[in-house]
Amino acid sequence: MQIGLGLSKHRDPLSAANEALWQAKAAIGTDKISLAFVFSSAELASPALLKTFQVYLPRIPIIGCSSLAVIHNSNIHKHSLMILLISTKELQISVASVKNIREKSAFVAGQELAKNLLERFWSPKRDLAMIFCDGLIEEGSKLILGIQQILGSSFPIAGASASDNLRFYKTYLYYNNEMLTDAAVGILWGGKLNFGLSLRHGWKPLGKPRTITESKGNIIKEIDNQKAVKLYQDYFAKDVLNLKKELKYISTLYPIGLYLEGEQEYLLRNIISINEDGSLICQGDVPSGSRARLMIGTEESCLDAAQEAAHEAKENFNLLIPPFAKTKPSIKFVFVFNSVSRYILLRRKANEELNMIHKAIGIELPLIGIYTYGEQGPLKATAYQGKVHFHNQTIVIIALGG
Amino acid sequence: MGILSSIYDLWGLVSALVIVALVVVVAMKMEKIRQQQTALDHLKKSLEEMDEQAKLIVRTDIELNKTQEELNKKITGLFALQRLSRAISTTLEETQVFDRIEDSHLEDIGFEKGLAFLYKENDKKFYLVLKIGYTQEEIEKITSSIDWDFYLELIKQGKAISSISLSDKGRVANINKLFNVRCFVAAPILPKEGNKGILFVGIESEDTVLTEGDEEIVTILANQVGQALENVKLFEQTWQAQQELEKKVEKRTQELREALREIKLVSKRKSDFVSAVSHELRTPLTSIKGYAAILLSKKLGEIPDLIRERLEKINRHSDELVHLVNGLLDISRIESGRVSMKCEPYDLNEIINVVLDLLGVQAKEKDIQLSAQVDKQLGSVMADRQQLERVLINLVGNAVKFTPKKGKIIVKAISKNDMVQVDVSDSGIGIPPEAQASIFEEFYRVDNTINEEVKGTGLGLSLVKNIIEAHKGRIWVSSKVGHGSTFSFTLPQVPK
Repeated sequence: MQIGLGLSKHRDPLSAANEALWQAKAAIGTDKISLAFVFSSAELASPALLKTFQVYLPRIPIIGCSSLAVIHNSNIHKHSLMILLISTKELQISVASVKNIREKSAFVAGQELAKNLLERFWSPKRDLAMIFCDGLIEEGSKLILGIQQILGSSFPIAGASASDNLRFYKTYLYYNNEMLTDAAVGILWGGKLNFGLSLRHGWKPLGKPRTITESKGNIIKEIDNQKAVKLYQDYFAKDVLNLKKELKYISTLYPIGLYLEGEQEYLLRNIISINEDGSLICQGDVPSGSRARLMIGTEESCLDAAQEAAHEAKENFNLLIPPFAKTKPSIKFVFVFNSVSRYILLRRKANEELNMIHKAIGIELPLIGIYTYGEQGPLKATAYQGKVHFHNQTIVIIALGG
Repeated sequence: MGILSSIYDLWGLVSALVIVALVVVVAMKMEKIRQQQTALDHLKKSLEEMDEQAKLIVRTDIELNKTQEELNKKITGLFALQRLSRAISTTLEETQVFDRIEDSHLEDIGFEKGLAFLYKENDKKFYLVLKIGYTQEEIEKITSSIDWDFYLELIKQGKAISSISLSDKGRVANINKLFNVRCFVAAPILPKEGNKGILFVGIESEDTVLTEGDEEIVTILANQVGQALENVKLFEQTWQAQQELEKKVEKRTQELREALREIKLVSKRKSDFVSAVSHELRTPLTSIKGYAAILLSKKLGEIPDLIRERLEKINRHSDELVHLVNGLLDISRIESGRVSMKCEPYDLNEIINVVLDLLGVQAKEKDIQLSAQVDKQLGSVMADRQQLERVLINLVGNAVKFTPKKGKIIVKAISKNDMVQVDVSDSGIGIPPEAQASIFEEFYRVDNTINEEVKGTGLGLSLVKNIIEAHKGRIWVSSKVGHGSTFSFTLPQVPK
């Protein structure tokens, strides 16, 4: 596997596409390109980008999404375009997309995406699925559930919800020559792929344990038999109106944590909005009867968690190496799907987080990533028996090689 | 029956015992439950207390986070301000000052949109010089309905305003609507020289709130822009002044060049004229002298003494005239380069001795002490022997001529920086300072008694100067009236 990376800060999408593409092409040093990942800030998202790629990368599968900023090693580039070209003979790859998620329902859309991925996949051995979906879709969990129905409930999936410049206005997906919203795109990896996947958030529980007494999908109706919104009202001593004003900020720093039996960390849920009846709308599912806590994040715990995740991803990569492999596979590059909440919490220390990860993984390896409005991955990453969940505030680290 | 009744008694006793035991056990259990209930109540209470503490922690934490965020915003803003200042302070053009303000700079100081206008005094109009985050359509809308007088007043007052500091809330709402923002800061740009203006920045999104700190930062930025504009103006002025100076120098150089060319032309014409005239004069002079000589030789018969006397005069004057004409011809030839110096290495000592020998007779007549001091390590000089002899004969001859009886003449030669310097010093009457500059000019004769008595052409030193310069040497004089003169000249030395 060979990779080539290009990065441009041009304000004009066409110039940016040209600059980034030629950098990447020069870096990869081969004309046999198998796949291209494209990540850009939301204001650079334009059909002109894809037109350029289509001309210079004919018939090459392209997937990607918009992001608050692109990550390269320990640098955070806002208003940038990044393209990652991959050339491989050993790996089997298929890409697919699904549109109109809201109309189809997220669950059905997830099933369709997984079916499309499988349809185009020839290798008997499939290893890992990567999903990018619209960051403003409310039923992220259902999408994952739909995919799991087809690919298997313990099949490893790593996913990212696209982001924009923190306006939560519009996020974009790239799929070949299409620029999509209300959609999801995916890639299925197989063949001689070796990977290590890990995720963490570092948020800690605070206050009294509570029970979700009534919920439906991603909507929490009652907590401890009281209107769900009362939890936040009590803790922050604010009326609903003031709470709504600061919701984005409060929910980013203090999400709800769901207790999962046998897991090291709580599963986090951001509150997107508050309904008139006092119920809370989350990005992911909240099952009725779950034990829940208010969560608090600190810079320190956040950085520790990122470092742990990096070490674990590296360990997991080595664990997956077949015992009698002729050539020992090595990590070629590392993907990072990093929650925008962490960017908001860490502020100027955001670079430090990436720096720690980069050091833990290996400073010589390219670290490539995006900031996300939601993350998907198995909690019990080590064994891959754990079900894939929808997360918030989380950093997903995927070491890829072969 | 007794047995039966005793069995009953026993049974009653046992029952009683069991009942008592049960009562005790129940009582004990009750006590334990009561204790546990108390413990549970305690636990519940402490949990509630803990939750209350958690609330306090959360509320403090959110305040802390907000403060930290504000602080962070300030620090980032200040860093951005510093970067921006550096970027704009190195510009040399007015437009560049604004070109260097980028989206990211504005974003880092916490704003999304920005506009800047400069007011040009000469046509009393505002001009757009910076546009960030606005479409052309929005700009047209803003510039067509903006209340310019309000901003002109801001410039006059030199005061920044913002959506929080402006008391007229109706105006705030109007500005927000016109500029399509939720909050804003407008600060005047006030350079001491040049066009003044307005810097407007705003936030559209609802997530950020404006603080007084923001107003300060924007004011600082506007000041920096003003200073940069001032620098640009100063630089422009300096640059223009320099340009003008350069133009003047160029013009003057051109004039001088022209003048020099003219002088050269005139000089050449003069040489040509002198040369032509001299040639033309020489032929009739030869005839005159020839005829006079024939008459004097008495080949044509005896001549009376009176006529002979006159003829001798003609002869003598003709000789002088020939001498003069030859001198003029020589000068013009050397000047025009028609005579080239046939330079060869010669022993200077030998040449000096020859010349001193030649002039020794005249010196002796006036009882003048004539001597030479030549550095023995001197080696050879590159020179045209004949011309060099002429130079020395002229200089030493002059010295003899202008040195009173029992005087002293010394010819010195020393080596100096690859050249040989020859000094001819006398103890003569000296040359007055005002004449020293002119003595090398043609036909110039110092006004003194000796010159009144002794005839001369006034060409000697001019010829000497021409010869020395043709050798790439230099000649000069130092003299003091009544104490004597020293004529010095240099010649190229032959490398040893």
